[in-house]
Amino acid sequence: MRNSIYISKTIVWIMPLILLALLLFPVPSFGRGEEVASYINRYKQYEVSTGYYEQYEVRPRHQSPLVRKFRGVDREPFAYSSTSASIRNRNHLADSHRAIKFYDNRRCEECHINETRDIHTVRANMTCRQCHGPEPIASIDHYYSPMNPIRRHAYICSKCHEGASASFATYVIHEPAAGALSTKTSFPALYYSYWFMLILLAGTLAFFIPHSILMGVRELFGKRKERTGDDDADDAH
Amino acid sequence: MMMQTMRIKRFSLLDRGFHFFLILTFLIQTATGFSRLFLPTTWGKKLNAVLGGYETSIFIHKWVGVLMILGFILHTLYLLTRIDWKNLGTSLFGPDSLIPNIHDAKHLWQRILWFFGIGPRPKMGRWAYWEKFDYWAVYWGMPLLAITGVMLMYPIIASNYVPGWTLNIAVLLHRAEAILAVSYIFIVHFYVGHLRPSSFPMNEAMFAGSIPMEELEDEKPAWLEQLKNEGKLETAKVTPPSPLYKVIYFVFGYTALGFGVYLLINGIIYSRYITLH
Repeated sequence: MRNSIYISKTIVWIMPLILLALLLFPVPSFGRGEEVASYINRYKQYEVSTGYYEQYEVRPRHQSPLVRKFRGVDREPFAYSSTSASIRNRNHLADSHRAIKFYDNRRCEECHINETRDIHTVRANMTCRQCHGPEPIASIDHYYSPMNPIRRHAYICSKCHEGASASFATYVIHEPAAGALSTKTSFPALYYSYWFMLILLAGTLAFFIPHSILMGVRELFGKRKERTGDDDADDAH
Repeated sequence: MMMQTMRIKRFSLLDRGFHFFLILTFLIQTATGFSRLFLPTTWGKKLNAVLGGYETSIFIHKWVGVLMILGFILHTLYLLTRIDWKNLGTSLFGPDSLIPNIHDAKHLWQRILWFFGIGPRPKMGRWAYWEKFDYWAVYWGMPLLAITGVMLMYPIIASNYVPGWTLNIAVLLHRAEAILAVSYIFIVHFYVGHLRPSSFPMNEAMFAGSIPMEELEDEKPAWLEQLKNEGKLETAKVTPPSPLYKVIYFVFGYTALGFGVYLLINGIIYSRYITLH
């Protein structure tokens, strides 16, 4: 008994101490994944705290969860031409909308309707220009684009999220539909999380709702039987 | 004079305190969370306005969430102090333990047979298998909601530890787990606690702390037998709750039920306008 009290008391004292120690530990930065030499570590802290970046670049695109597959036209059975692949892939152009017909009279959402349904647009009422900038809008992967993953956190994210790091900028703003089969190849982590949670939700309710209904119905019959039995007994008297 | 029903103690004051704390925080989290989740809908906007608007509702959601985490940690510490370390085997796997065992699987099978009238009613012990599920569901739901919630609360710091794209997954998991918890509590738990014939109008055990002897004989005959064998039946007898206290917990219970059903029905109606991520 004394032993039990001793162990219980020890737990009660040790657990808050562990929690306190966790709070006092310095913030690690291994997830940020920036390629920096050790002598500028102090500068890195300054950047994170102020959101002001300069001097060095970060390692490009190492953490993207999106598995990008650009379908090469030359692999199609009927290719447009021997060079059309580079024209159809607009991810590296200085003007990503180059040669689109009647571009001046069009609105972004006419072609990019799915990109207007994410949290940034729906919740924060942000417009496309606030991140993608003025015309000409460079392709995401164009080397000098502010949206390029090597500097997106500094030029775009930090405008609202002070101290955003390269790791933070890997958040996928325009998420693909989580349950879609195409997401299995483009963002597998999202796809499998979605289906796991959906099966868990459906499975739990699919078991417990019929279980509860059957329990209720059976109890109702039981009570009715008891009542009928009582009535019969009363009648006998 | 009418003889008062004999009652047997089922939950301590602290147990009931934890449950009451969970009811309050869960309802606040559901209301504030739904007001954000359903913000693109007219109902969501109205609910959000009632809860103080876009910024205030998330402020409440975040800090009540922190309170919930602290309550969860305290409860876990309390749970550890309840373990009899000297008789660890009996303490963890005995009839008074909440840890699922082979008897629960047996009871589930017997109960299914009983549902269809092809078997006798299983003799339940202190904790029925669905009560154990209710208890441990909190232990998978709370850590998931807490970790993803803290990640979303401090996304910049979180992205120092893990890649930023895990925030996409965190949003999905937080919403899906919250919807699962809300659906389960407001459909299954409320039905079992309030509306099924043997509980109607309300299973008072979690508020009164005790259950009538008839309920014990009917629902938990194995526990009654255990109390008799251990000679603890006399010490487990308690006085019934006062009428005033009964009125208070009936009003509170039905307010919680009504509020939960209101959120659930509107959630179902407007569910087509929202996504899990």
